[in-house]
Formats: sequence, structure tokens, C-alpha cells
Amino acid sequence: MQVKTFSSDSVKGFMQAWDKNSSDGFKPNAAIVFSSVDIDLNGISTFIKKKGVRLFGSSSCGEFLYNSSGKVITEGGLVCSMLQLEPGSYDLNMFSGKGIDSFSLGRTAGEWVVKTFKKPAIFVVASGLNTDGEQLVRGIQDVAGDDVTMFGGLAGDDAHFNETYVFSESALDPQGAIIMVLDLSVYEINGISTSGWVSIGADKIITRAEGNIVYTIDNQPALDVYKMYLNVRDEDLPEIGVEYPLLIRKQDESFVLRAVLNVDREKKALIFAGTVPNGAVVTFSSSPGFEIIESTRKEVNEFYKYNPNTDLLILFSCMARHNALGPTISEEIDEVWEKWSKPLIGFFTYGEIGNNYKASCDFYNQTFTLVSIKQK
Amino acid sequence: MPKNLQYIIDELRNLRNPEEFLAARDRILEELTRVDSDFEKLNFKYERSNKEKNILSSLLTRTSADLKKVSDNLKIRAEELSTILITIPAYVYFKDVNLNYILVNQSYAELTGLPVDKITGRSLLEIFPHYKSTGYLETEQKVISLGKENYNIEEEIEFNGQTRWVNTNLAPIRNPAGHIIGLIGISWDITERKHYESELKRAKELAEAGTMAKNEFIASISHEFRTPMNGILGLSEILKNTPLDESQADLLKGIVSSAENLLVLVNDLLDFSAIEAGKLELDFHPFILDRVLEDVFQMLNMKAREKFLDFSVLISEDVPKHLIGDSQRLRQIIINLAGNAVKFTEKGGIEIHIHLLKSTVDRIMLRFEVIDTGIGIPQEAKESLFKVFSRVKQNKSKLIVGSGLSICKKLTDLLSGEIGVESEKGKGSTFWFTLPFDLTGIKIQPKEKTGEAEFKLYTGKRVLVAEDNLINQKIVSFQLKRIGFEVDLVDNGQLALEKYDENCYDIVILDIQMPVMDGYEVAKAIRRKEAITRNHIPVIALTANAMKGDKELYLAAGMDGYVSKPFTPETLLSAIQQAEIIASRSRI
Repeated sequence: MQVKTFSSDSVKGFMQAWDKNSSDGFKPNAAIVFSSVDIDLNGISTFIKKKGVRLFGSSSCGEFLYNSSGKVITEGGLVCSMLQLEPGSYDLNMFSGKGIDSFSLGRTAGEWVVKTFKKPAIFVVASGLNTDGEQLVRGIQDVAGDDVTMFGGLAGDDAHFNETYVFSESALDPQGAIIMVLDLSVYEINGISTSGWVSIGADKIITRAEGNIVYTIDNQPALDVYKMYLNVRDEDLPEIGVEYPLLIRKQDESFVLRAVLNVDREKKALIFAGTVPNGAVVTFSSSPGFEIIESTRKEVNEFYKYNPNTDLLILFSCMARHNALGPTISEEIDEVWEKWSKPLIGFFTYGEIGNNYKASCDFYNQTFTLVSIKQK
Repeated sequence: MPKNLQYIIDELRNLRNPEEFLAARDRILEELTRVDSDFEKLNFKYERSNKEKNILSSLLTRTSADLKKVSDNLKIRAEELSTILITIPAYVYFKDVNLNYILVNQSYAELTGLPVDKITGRSLLEIFPHYKSTGYLETEQKVISLGKENYNIEEEIEFNGQTRWVNTNLAPIRNPAGHIIGLIGISWDITERKHYESELKRAKELAEAGTMAKNEFIASISHEFRTPMNGILGLSEILKNTPLDESQADLLKGIVSSAENLLVLVNDLLDFSAIEAGKLELDFHPFILDRVLEDVFQMLNMKAREKFLDFSVLISEDVPKHLIGDSQRLRQIIINLAGNAVKFTEKGGIEIHIHLLKSTVDRIMLRFEVIDTGIGIPQEAKESLFKVFSRVKQNKSKLIVGSGLSICKKLTDLLSGEIGVESEKGKGSTFWFTLPFDLTGIKIQPKEKTGEAEFKLYTGKRVLVAEDNLINQKIVSFQLKRIGFEVDLVDNGQLALEKYDENCYDIVILDIQMPVMDGYEVAKAIRRKEAITRNHIPVIALTANAMKGDKELYLAAGMDGYVSKPFTPETLLSAIQQAEIIASRSRI
């Protein structure tokens, strides 16, 4: 595979950069675009379609690109990776989630995936603030198997929490999933997920929940509990909810973080990025401070030891990390560039999906989820 | 002052001439950019800290309120638990894995006579220096090492000069990670209970000994009855064969009938004590159901006719004829029930119905009903009817007494069947029972009634009979002579052996209990002699009654069969025939 990457702050700039990168005879057959919702996403689709290229696109909450020409971490712009992939080793498809639950959406996508390749690796990004990322993952796994290789996340909208999008060369969907599938007999794909968030406060019980909607915590309206404990104003929600997720304790003493992506003020309910089961024992959680950068560095170094070669790196980093680390976010992304010095493209997400080393895929919040693609 | 700023100041100070300025400007600008970036990061960290401070302090305030609530609840809970521990009417203690006390309750402390804080951290032997271990500490150690509860450990302990019995339950204590960190023991003083238990045990033993003595008495007295009964019946049989006028024959009939009734009663008593002692032997063999019912019919029809009662037997067509079971006990049950029916019915009649309840390939369940039009049984008497020696009060003057029903109940139980009664006072009763039988594939040839012709089978054959009772001697010899035997009689075993040596016999019949030498000894001696001659003469035991285990004794002594007294000519004959077959096999 061959890769070229660039960033821009407008559709016009995008088109120019594309043509410039193609002028040496480079013929991409696929593209990855992570873009701000402020940019005309339809314009990008139309342009890419004319080029006869397949597009894997998602709106973002800030995007970044590291390559030999420099480091870009922006908000309101776009980043693009032009890919020249082996014919027959990839495919793309978009699935609408309208009128169906996230699990069913996952199953539909999964059925297409297993038909496409015998040994598939899935890249999936979903849009919609009410999408249950965990159910989407479970739906895909239900068809493709628990051990399927899968990375991705939930699209963002620059922390407006209005509408997020996925897009291909021919469509734009505020409530769907875009999938790129690669043939694992041609590519080697590995990744890590690391968070660093810690539990704060006493244990609480989820007393009423349905899927990813929580109505009561310790028998009190969930929204009231959240606002009271964090002492936040109504207008701070849901944005602050991404930074202070609930930590769900599992029986084996492990835990999973679930960020608030939306609120139902009428029902005083919190809508999470993934399932929060009835009866679950939860606590609030927070990043312990800037030391999470150090723990990310360690994980990246460890991953590099096992996976020193790559053609392209994609990073799905939670927008809450950006909020928590501010300008120092670059320090943990820098570590990736320093290790591999290969193109790195990514965006700040509302949720991440990934296999941690060889473990089965899960849906996360607050993580730094890095994936490496290498042609065999 | 930040290092970067110091650097810029130094650069500017060191500027000596305009040529150096351009190069210095680039270095200074680069440094200023770095300062700007550092400043931006610092500024962010500052703002971030401010924002986080608000959220975290709120979270911490709320959390500390939560924790206060939790700790208050825990305190209340702890107080409740401590109250329970103190007031629970039992000795409670907790020990660590080294079996040292961690905590004991008030009752336990009182038991030791020490304050609670003097007990914790110490071991059992430090608290009770005079404690004599009977494996108790080992049991505690096992609870810790195996992680398993151990309940109802009873132990006699001594403290304050008093002996007390305690019952203890032990259970391991685990920490949340599942590791055993000690044990809990709860003990109760059961001295009183132990006292009652031993009294109860003694009373039970006494009662059992009494019952056993009673059963033995009944068994032995019934046994004693049989010898004179044998005499009466045997001599009556002899008398019947002498010329008698009509009234004498009638009187004899009365004697025989009374003696038979008495024999039934004695047999019932014997059976009863045999069942009680678990000594009743069941004999499962192929038989023809019709034959059993014919016997019953012949035995009871006469009596029914005397009372002008109808008597009939109805067998459903689907009931198989050839069965495997204890026909003797079946006959006994039917005769008992039907005999009662005849006895207590004054008008109408008695019907015996038999139908098939269930059947599989090799097993069936039959239901027998004895239906009478008699006096009926009041509701309140039904329950106790099958109990031992029950009585049904008919009126002030008359009591109906019987052991028969309780024997029927015990026999049906033994044979895996059920028994019951449906009755309405004044309208008659239906006694029923169910019994399982195995099916036989083989058809049994119905045995012809032994005719006069067969009686002469043994003409010219010699039999040696050893029997010390003179009356029995007469009866046996009469019956043997009737079937053609030439009979040699002796009074004891010693004489029998002498006769055996002098003459040549076709068969030997030995009473078991005899003076000088008993039947077993004689049989053994005969078999020893035969070891040289390689012969095997049929030897039959004459016995007062066959109990479970007796058969093995006869066989061990080398006998080929036995006859229980009193016996009929038919049973004697069949025992002789059987013994001949067995003996002939032994010769091969």
C-alpha cells in the first residue's frame, strides 16, 4: 500500500492539496477524511466521487495529522489520507441506523463484512448522539464473531452535541455507520487502547436504566445526581459529561468507562455512549491530571516493541483527553511520531472501538486507541 | 526567573556589535516562541486546575457526606451485630487461623470466668488449662485447612468442677477475596438434652427387651402347642380309619375341626412372632392360581354351606393362571379374609373377585377382593383394624377378636402389596389386597390329587424313624405304613445309628430334638459313614417349626429335606419324594 496525507481548512484547499499530491502520478483508490462539521462535507464527497475513489469519512471534534511535513492538531479543519490499496483487498460500505437499534445496525453491517472477506479487519465509525457504541460492537460480533479485528469510534461535532456524521463518496448520514473492511491475508492490523481515568467517590447503584439511557442512580433522577455531585450548571451538559464519565465496576475487578453524550432534560435522564446495565455498581471518574500522558507513553512504547513496522497509523482519541490535556495533548501524540515516524491520522472522538492487543474488541470512552496498518 | 527569559537577557547583554545582532535575533525569536508555548501550556494548566478544583471539591464534599452516611450506617449495623452477639443465648467465639481467640461473646466469657479482653489473642488451652482434648482442636484445624463447615460436634467438657455436654457448629470465615482468615464456633449447652436422651434410650431398650421377651414367649409357647396338636390331629386321623358309628364319626369331626381352628390360631401366632423377629421365610415358586383358589373354596365352601351362605370365586379372564410367587402366603391371606367373612356373615353370601390391575412383560399386579354381606365395620374401627390384636366392638356383650388381619397386613407388606377395607355398617364389607407376581413362561402340569394307588408306592421299602415322642411315633409310623413302608422306630439318635449299621434302609427320618444324640448329629454321622460306601441315603428332618435359617442347618448337616409338624399325609409324602430326588442327585 502507498499512503499520502495532508490537512486543510476548506473544501477548496482540500481539492488543491488532493490534485497536488496526485500530480506525480500517484493513483489513490481510497481515502480517509476526518473533518470538522463546519466544512462542507457534501462538497468533499462530490469531489472524491468524481475522482472515482472510495471514501471513509467522519465528522470530528478536532483532528490531527503527523507526517514528514509537520504536526497538525486543529479544530475546524480536516485531515486526509490518500490510500493506494491492493485491488480486491478492501471494500467500503455505509449503513443507515434510522429506525433500528444499534445492535441491529451492527448485525446488518456484520453480515456484509463476513460476506466480503473470510478474514476481515473492520474499521467502523458511527454517527448519532444516541447511538449505543457497545451495542453496535456486540451486533457486529454477533455475526462476525467475538474475536473479529475491529477499530474505530463515534463521530464528533466540535463539541456542539447537535449532530454528527459519517460520509462516503456518495452519501452523508447523521445516524449510521461507515465501514471499511480490509483483507487480513494482505494486511497486518494491531492496536492498543489506554485510558488512565480513575474512580472518584463512593459506589452508587444504577437503579433504573434501559440500554444506554440511565433514569435513576440510587433511586434519584440521574441528571440531578450528576449535576449535584459535580456542581455543574445545566448548560455545561452534555459537554462536561464526556470528561467525567461513570466508571462501571465489573465482577472481575476490571472496569469500563461510559461517557455522557446527551441528556433528556424532561425525563431527567442521562444518555451514554454505551450500555449502562440496570443494577450496575458505578462511581464518578476523572483523569488524575497530566500524568496520564506518562502512562500513554509507556503503553505506546510497549506496543512499538511488538509492532515496530507500519505503513499507516490511525488514532481514535477521546475528545475528553483533549479537554483535559489542552495543548499538552500533543505530548502523547508526539510519542507515536517519535517511535514510528510514519503517517499518523486521527480525530478526537465521542467514543472508541478497538482490540487491546489480542483481546476481543470492546467499546470504550476516554481512551487513546491507536491502530497500525501494514501490508504484509 | 524562567530559564528562557534569563537566556534572552543574557543574549541581549552579550551583544557587542551590530554584526552579531541578526544571528542573536533568530535565537531570541526561537526562544520567545518556546516561552509562548510554555506560557500557553501553563495557562491551560492553571485554568484547567481552577475548573477541576470546583468540580472535584464538589465531588469530594458530596462523597465525604456519602461516606459519613455509610460510616454511620456501619456503626449502627456494628452496634446491632454486637447486641446480637452479646445477647444470643449460645457461646459464640471467633478464632484466627492459629486458633487464637479474636472475639467471644458475653456468654462465652462467663463460661470461662474471664473478662473478654483476657480471652482475645489466647488459645483454648490457655483459657481452659484442664481441658482434655478429644480431637476437638484437630476438628477446628480441619475446618481451617479444608474450608468446610462441621456441624453438631458433641463433647463432654469439664469446667468449674462440673461436667457439661456441649454441641458445637464450626464454620470457616473468609475475607472478601475468599481466603480463610479464621473460624466461628457456636456452642450450646445440651447437658439436659443428653440426660433425657440417655433416659429415653434406657426406656427404649427396656421396651425392646420386653417386646423381645414377649415375642420369644409367644413363639415358644406356640411351639409347645404344636406337639400336642400334632398328637390330636394325627391320632384323630388314625381314629378316622377305624370302624366308627355315625355319632362317633360326628364327634370326631368336631374334634378335628376344633383342633384345626386352634392350629390356625397357633400358626398365626407363630407367623406373627416370626415376622416381628424378621425370621419369616418367603418361598417364591411357580404355581397355578386356580389350584390355590380351589383349595380355598374346598376349605370354606363347606363352612359357608353350614350357615346357608353362598360362596363363589370369580376370576377375570385376563388374569394369567401360571404365576411365580409365594402361593402358601397367598392362600393364608385369602383364607384369613374369607374365613372372617364366613364367620361374620349371617345372611347372603361371600364372593371372592380377582382382577388384573397392571401388567408388564414379566410382572403383574393382581387385586383380590373378598366381598361379604355381613355386619360391616364402623368407620372409627377401620383404621385400627389391621393393627395387632384389634377388636371391633359390636355390642356390649360381644367382642370380636382377631390376629388374622394384622398378619394379613404384615404379609402383604412383606410381599410388596397393599391391603384395605371398604365397608358400611350393616351392609357388608369388601376386604381387598393387591400383590405383585412374576410371570412364568412355562406351564405347570396340574398335580393330580394323590390317590390311594400312589400310597402303595413304597410297599417293600424300609424306613428308619427316630422320634422320642410316643404319640408322634404312632402318627408317623401309621402314615408311613399307609403308603407301604416297613417302619423301624427308635427313641433316640444313638439307637438310630445302631439300627442304621445293622440294617439296610431306603430312607431315614430323624426328629431334630432328641435325647442322647440329636438329629443333626445322626445325619452327620451317616454322611461320614457314606463317604466310604459312596452311597447317599435320603435323610429327612422332622421339625417342630421351620424358621428362617433352619433350612441351612439341615442342609449343612447333610439332610435332604424336612417336614414341619404337624403334617398331613400329603406333605409327608411330598417331602419323601422331594428328598429322594435330591439324594439321587447327590449320588451322581
